[in-house]
Amino acid sequence: MSIFSDINFALRTLIKNPKFTALTVFVMTTGLTLCIYMFSFIQGTMVAPLPFKDGERIRAVDMIYNGMTYQGTSIRVHDFEDLKKRVQSYEVFDAYDIGTVNLSTNDRAVKYTGHFVTENFFKISEAKPLLGRLLSNEDALSGAEPVAVLSHTLWQSLFAGDKDVLGKKLRVNTKPTTIVGVMPDSYQFPDAGRIWLPYTTKATGVERSKADYVAVYGVLKPGVTDELANTEIKSLMAELEDKFPKLNSNTSARIWTIQESSMGDGTSVIILAMELAVGFILLLACINVGNLLFSRATEKGKETAIRTALGAPRATIIMQMMWESVLICSISGVLAVLFSGLWLEQSNTDLLEAFPFDPPFWWNMTITESSIIAAIVITLVTAFITGILPAIKATSGDFNATLRDGTRGAQGKSAGRLSKIVVISEVVLSCALLLLSTGMVYSVNQQNNVDYGTSVEDIFTVRVGLPETEYKNLEKRQQYYQTVMAALKAKPEVEDVSIARTLPGNWASYENIAIDGVDYGKKPQYPSSNSVGVAHNYFQMMEVNLREGRVFDSRDKMDSPLTAVVTENFAKKYFADGDVLGKRFKFVETDKDWYTIIGVVNDVLHGQPTAMNIAKPSAFTSIQQAPKRFISIVVKTKASDASTVANLSKIVTGVTQKIERDAPAYDVKTLRASIDQRNAGMNFVSELFLVFAAASMVLAFSGIYGVMSNTIVQKTQEIGIRRALGADESDIYKHFIIQGIKQLSIGLIIGIPMGVALVNMLEQSSLAQGSLMLYIIIPTLISAVMFLAIYYPVQRALKLEPCAALRHE
Amino acid sequence: MKTLIKLTNLKKVFSTDEVETHALSDINLEVKQGEYLSIAGPSGCGKSTLLSLLGLLDTCSGGSYNLNGHDVVDINGKQRAAIRNKEIGFVFQSFNLISELTVAENVALPLTYRKDLSKTERNDLVKAALEKVDMGHRTKHYPSQLSGGQQQRVAVARAIAGNPSIILADEPTGNLDSKNAELVMALLDKLHAEGATICMVTHDPRGAKRAERIIEIFDGRIVSDSPTTETKIAEAVA
Ligand SMILES: Nc1ncnc2c1ncn2[C@@H]1O[C@H](COP(=O)(O)OP(=O)(O)OP(=O)(O)O)[C@@H](O)[C@H]1O
Ligand SMILES: [Mg+2]
Repeated sequence: MSIFSDINFALRTLIKNPKFTALTVFVMTTGLTLCIYMFSFIQGTMVAPLPFKDGERIRAVDMIYNGMTYQGTSIRVHDFEDLKKRVQSYEVFDAYDIGTVNLSTNDRAVKYTGHFVTENFFKISEAKPLLGRLLSNEDALSGAEPVAVLSHTLWQSLFAGDKDVLGKKLRVNTKPTTIVGVMPDSYQFPDAGRIWLPYTTKATGVERSKADYVAVYGVLKPGVTDELANTEIKSLMAELEDKFPKLNSNTSARIWTIQESSMGDGTSVIILAMELAVGFILLLACINVGNLLFSRATEKGKETAIRTALGAPRATIIMQMMWESVLICSISGVLAVLFSGLWLEQSNTDLLEAFPFDPPFWWNMTITESSIIAAIVITLVTAFITGILPAIKATSGDFNATLRDGTRGAQGKSAGRLSKIVVISEVVLSCALLLLSTGMVYSVNQQNNVDYGTSVEDIFTVRVGLPETEYKNLEKRQQYYQTVMAALKAKPEVEDVSIARTLPGNWASYENIAIDGVDYGKKPQYPSSNSVGVAHNYFQMMEVNLREGRVFDSRDKMDSPLTAVVTENFAKKYFADGDVLGKRFKFVETDKDWYTIIGVVNDVLHGQPTAMNIAKPSAFTSIQQAPKRFISIVVKTKASDASTVANLSKIVTGVTQKIERDAPAYDVKTLRASIDQRNAGMNFVSELFLVFAAASMVLAFSGIYGVMSNTIVQKTQEIGIRRALGADESDIYKHFIIQGIKQLSIGLIIGIPMGVALVNMLEQSSLAQGSLMLYIIIPTLISAVMFLAIYYPVQRALKLEPCAALRHE
Repeated sequence: MKTLIKLTNLKKVFSTDEVETHALSDINLEVKQGEYLSIAGPSGCGKSTLLSLLGLLDTCSGGSYNLNGHDVVDINGKQRAAIRNKEIGFVFQSFNLISELTVAENVALPLTYRKDLSKTERNDLVKAALEKVDMGHRTKHYPSQLSGGQQQRVAVARAIAGNPSIILADEPTGNLDSKNAELVMALLDKLHAEGATICMVTHDPRGAKRAERIIEIFDGRIVSDSPTTETKIAEAVA
């Protein structure tokens, strides 16, 4: 009954003060929305569980090379087979391979990524075919009938969903293959596959240096920790490094969850940064609302004191105040669940649009049960912090002293101290948060505007992969290049055309190299470089500038000595004396012969624009000298508007189809689009942090302004006294500004290093970048906020004549 | 004796949305240096308003005010602040000490607004003022740690620390018991004896009698202006 009347009382108080209620609910909703959104986002994506019985114990095994983790098909099959014999930590230790496959039916050819998998692969991912059967270990035996399992999508597009598809044939890389099963649309592991083929990659009979790379995964035995399994794999890899110093130098491996592996190295740091950011925002919101409630409680201090004096138990008074905050937080909590739900839905569509790939199947960006539970817990905790603590503090004073308080004209001393602490914490939190967020946004912005070292606009690209058996012959590959380039060049829409193994912004293979004349010792630590094969006109068409020597020309033929063009950072890093031309190097793992350096060009960036990738040296080789099967055709266009691109894509697809039926063009897009898609993830994260920055700015400003103006209003009488004693207006401003500067300095002294530390933490994963400019702008901005929060209330207080200020209660 | 204050037809009107209150009308008053003036009258008659105008805490609505030979009606805020600081010392009914500052800091406060005082000079003045009110032993205390009487003595010290030309006191004993009230009144007597000019509002007839001259206000006008009986006797004797 009494709880009822308490709630009733609190509700009436809130309704009676609509402004106060609206403000507190707004602040709290902002904090809670960000918090619940972030929680659901992280829970639903980065750390979402795999929806399998043993999902908790499934791990990816990825290679670490030169300290950097490479995901997916990263382990040499020889290494995998050696490891498989010796690992103890796993119930299942297995590999699968990914490769581009040409599929052709009687009327057309398409190109897809195929998964080469084992029986285990389907078992642990709890696959259930829609039609037919899964792949078995027998299918992988040599001499077995070639079979394939189709995805739902492929079944629809190639066979129009034909119910009788089982037993029909399909040419896979020109090999007739029987379809034995169709998977349901929902099946994905570890990503959305198109076609599954038996895993037949073998180490036996293949030179170690020519080995295939496979993706390795495992199911940990129950009770085996990640730490244990990691130690094991690292020590086994170290033994392999000792055994094969040339091939395995700087190579190790790690295990982590499939989810972590799919997100890459920086994930845990990003998660931490996000959690810290929303934590800070929520804390800011709590401090603001708590402070608003508290200052209202102190305003009513006399009333409270009188009631205490009249015998009201302290618990009753605390309960009444607490219900207010419980109501505020509950309303905000409900609103926050609503808003974050809508926001998550929006993010879902945004991400689908922005990403070049299907989001991982375990992503589930909705408000789940656990987000609701989290929301309730967070709401209760905030209600406690914002309600009970101020209530206890407000009623803890000696009520007799409050009643007797003869020295009017100022807040009580402890209330004054509290408001100082509030201002300092707002400065600390907002400073750290703003530095973190802007550091992140800044680095993403830098990355978006990075110089790739080539022209990027109005470049159109497709990939083709020449069928293996037909193009064993290298001359035939060369022939193909010439034909395609000539045919495309003849089209009026095409300004120029070239060929490259990989393009700026996309991954290049980063390989160990040896410089001629350098002794790398018994346990070699080789340097490395990107290796990029290009057609001879590549540099001129892509506007790569020659700094020294020459680029490839007709002299660089297949039977002439191997030549290479290197980037400036290659020259600087490996030939410090500046004498580069004529020097020789080779790719340790793949080549027997030396490449002679004939020219130096400007730096070209391969991979995402992180500091590490920017620093990577590159060596260009001639695809005339070493023709490859998988290449990008690069077309220079006059424009890249949608219709030009659509038109071009038709032309290029048509031309390639005509020249080689079994090498359909895929990955058709502009270079700009492929770069943008690659950066989409970071852009999304940086947009989130922009929201954090804005929210923290609004909360910090309203918080600091609220506290300062409240403090100053309460000091109106003191202002009157000071003026009566001869202070002029500038003296009054000075007094409050000096006070403000004290709090500001303490706040910044704590907040700046905190923010810088956070930025540094992210900088190591290339996720943020500190800049002196930001380290100056952000504190200046906060100082300006502080100054305004002092200036306006003081100005208002000074409008009163001193005698009126003196009478102010 | 030199004329310190000269008010001619001074007027104060408070206008709120609904009403105009003529708080003071046609006030003509001269106060000489060294005078001890008491202002009396019923509640709401305009005593505090008059003191505020004398102390430049408020602006008048008409008439002229000459303080120490200078016209102070049309001067700017900065000049008014400087005059309050140098020429005037205030003692309030509710003491009005600043609770976050110590006794010494409170007393030093008006001196900190003077640009021409060194720190040692200021400390000397503070010490002298506090000794005068017999509070030299409590410099480090905070106001809340003092009794009402002690607080008011500190307030008096603050008012006299800068050697103002005139001390304005609005019911300085209003919040004090009779024993403490007596102490504070004795203090003002002493200051007057040392040559201070004092204008004091008081309800307390015993207090009023200690002044040399008493003016009575009724409904915003001075209705009587006469020497107190003790002064009359003293004059008669002389
Ligand atoms: N700021 C103001 N706005 C409007 N009216 C005012 C204001 N200040 C004073 N008054 C009015 O002016 C008149 C004189 O007030 P004042 O405070 O001078 O009286 P007082 O003589 O000091 O009374 P008391 O003995 O009760 O202190 C009163 O009628 C009061 O209501
Ligand atoms: Mg009065």
